[in-house]
Amino acid sequence: MLKRDHTLSLSTQARAPGFRVELKGTTFRLIASGAWTVAEATKLDIALKRLRVPIPPTPEFTGEMDIAAIAEIDTAGAWLLQRTAAAWEAGGLRTRYAGATDGFKILIEEVQSRSGAVRPKLEKQGAAQQLVEDVTKTLTGAWADVVQLTSFLGEVTAGLGRMIAQPWRFRPTSFVHHLDHAGLRAVPIIGLICFLIGAVVMQQGVVQLKPFGAEPFAVNMVAILALREVGILLTAIMVAGRSGSAFTAEIGSMKMREEIDAMRTLGIDPMDTLVLPRVLALVVALPLLTFLGDITGLIGGGVMAIAVLGLDVPTYIDKLHDAIDFQHFMAGMIKAPFAAVIIGLVGCLEGLKVEGSAESLGTHVTSAVVKAIFLVIILDAVFAMFLSGIGV
Amino acid sequence: MTLENGREVLIRVRGLAKSFGGYQIWDGLDLDVFRGEILAIVGGSGQGKSVLLRVITGLVKPEAGEVELFGRNAKTLAREDRLDIESRWGILFQDGALFSSLTVLQNIQVPMREHLELPQSMMDDLAFLKLTMVGLPPEAAHKYPSELSGGMRKRAGLARALALDPEIVFLDEPTAGLDPIGASDFDHLIRKLQQTLGLTVYMVTHDLDTIFTVCDRVAVLADKKIVRTGSPTELQLHPNHRWIEEYFCGERARAAHPADQPRRLLV
Repeated sequence: MLKRDHTLSLSTQARAPGFRVELKGTTFRLIASGAWTVAEATKLDIALKRLRVPIPPTPEFTGEMDIAAIAEIDTAGAWLLQRTAAAWEAGGLRTRYAGATDGFKILIEEVQSRSGAVRPKLEKQGAAQQLVEDVTKTLTGAWADVVQLTSFLGEVTAGLGRMIAQPWRFRPTSFVHHLDHAGLRAVPIIGLICFLIGAVVMQQGVVQLKPFGAEPFAVNMVAILALREVGILLTAIMVAGRSGSAFTAEIGSMKMREEIDAMRTLGIDPMDTLVLPRVLALVVALPLLTFLGDITGLIGGGVMAIAVLGLDVPTYIDKLHDAIDFQHFMAGMIKAPFAAVIIGLVGCLEGLKVEGSAESLGTHVTSAVVKAIFLVIILDAVFAMFLSGIGV
Repeated sequence: MTLENGREVLIRVRGLAKSFGGYQIWDGLDLDVFRGEILAIVGGSGQGKSVLLRVITGLVKPEAGEVELFGRNAKTLAREDRLDIESRWGILFQDGALFSSLTVLQNIQVPMREHLELPQSMMDDLAFLKLTMVGLPPEAAHKYPSELSGGMRKRAGLARALALDPEIVFLDEPTAGLDPIGASDFDHLIRKLQQTLGLTVYMVTHDLDTIFTVCDRVAVLADKKIVRTGSPTELQLHPNHRWIEEYFCGERARAAHPADQPRRLLV
């Protein structure tokens, strides 16, 4: 903000902005006064818009912006004056400024010199076009994901082959570290969740089957469900949320800080050091966690069965023997390594796709979890169809 | 209004003390910022140049000492007065600190929206005017910060700092990370805006070229306080302090501005 006199403290009355227009000889004069600042701009804007552009009766008539009584001015004030002056010019009045101090003059000239620039219009698309574009983008994006994931699977397999041929490439420290983080540390939460879900399913089963007098079969239902579906699905979803996201975040932040580029230039293959230990650790950890999930699910169901069906422990175990056999256990277990590969691949791939910004890291972590869970469920459905097809 | 030697003091800092993790960074720091000047704060790494900016703007609390903003004690300010003062300054953070979810034009409008009630069309026009004044091309208006180069982000950040036509702008390392040509352009922009808008400029900088081309006064932060203030040439000719001598009379400084040559013309 520029003031005419900095040593002067203006009273509120003297600050009040205003203007009047008068005709003196052949000159239309706009006499402005007070503080023409951004704080007063709304009032001034409304008043200036109401002002009619004077129509010169003959070409000799000129316009003048008399700002000698303006005490303070800033860019907004200068812009308002400039807008008015431009409107007068357009109406055929040659308009000049009078009464400006040196400082005011510099500002007004600056604003004048910028008035020619045209603000680019924001291109707004129609809703239909937008919809078509979004759908196309999503579909091509999904296809690109499939292609990327497949080619990454190929890369990882090739990396694994190299590692088998040259076993010294294997990184035991890293492998054990991830086994600890993705496996051992997930034990409490996965055990607890499977226990609770086992108990809930048992309780609901008993309630729903009671009207048919079939409540003893709730044990069969829980046993088969826990072994075939619930154990593996819950475990895989938990691991995708816990470890898949952690893989993306770890690798992504390394990518952001150019650590992965540094590795490559030092002759270290990120596939050996970052991707394979993680994927292999998950392939080992997930079946173990699934087994844990199966057992705690059955224990949860058992606790509830004892509570609501009045069974005792040996009877519950006998009933389990009757209800399930090894096939059911294997039908759930066989999915675990596949789910592990999916979660590991998606987590590492999304991490490697991270670009410079923290925002990109966040998006990729989210999409890693969403994609991993989605693919695990697809996998589960495919297995369900396949296994029932071959009669298991 | 606080006067010192007949000049109006916009910001007065007295007896500031602050320590981080048991290490005292200042003890009894005094500083005056006068209206209409371009003041550079220089000092070695870890002397708390950026922290001083944060203390003055109220982002960090000092352990002892007074900060006076526009003649009013910062500690005893009521909420409304604080808001009023915040609309009288603008701050350019190191990388612009633009809001990433808003376009450049929307970023510049944020202070207008918060502090004033202006019609949208006028905000658009004023924001666009600011955008051209800081030397950004018109196409930048609808771009997001991630689509801009580092130099453009700084310019956009400056435009946002200038949105309300503040009396004083704080610049944190305005030329850091810019190439020499970009840095020199930015120096001239600061000088030009200072003259056009009657700004007071407070900048934290390392850049000797900036100091010699645009700054009126330099305050040197060393030994836990402001050890000396003076024009760049004055400090170069009479350093009277080991750090100032190394800084202003080292090889880089002599390359930037040999004291025995006439001062380069501006703009």
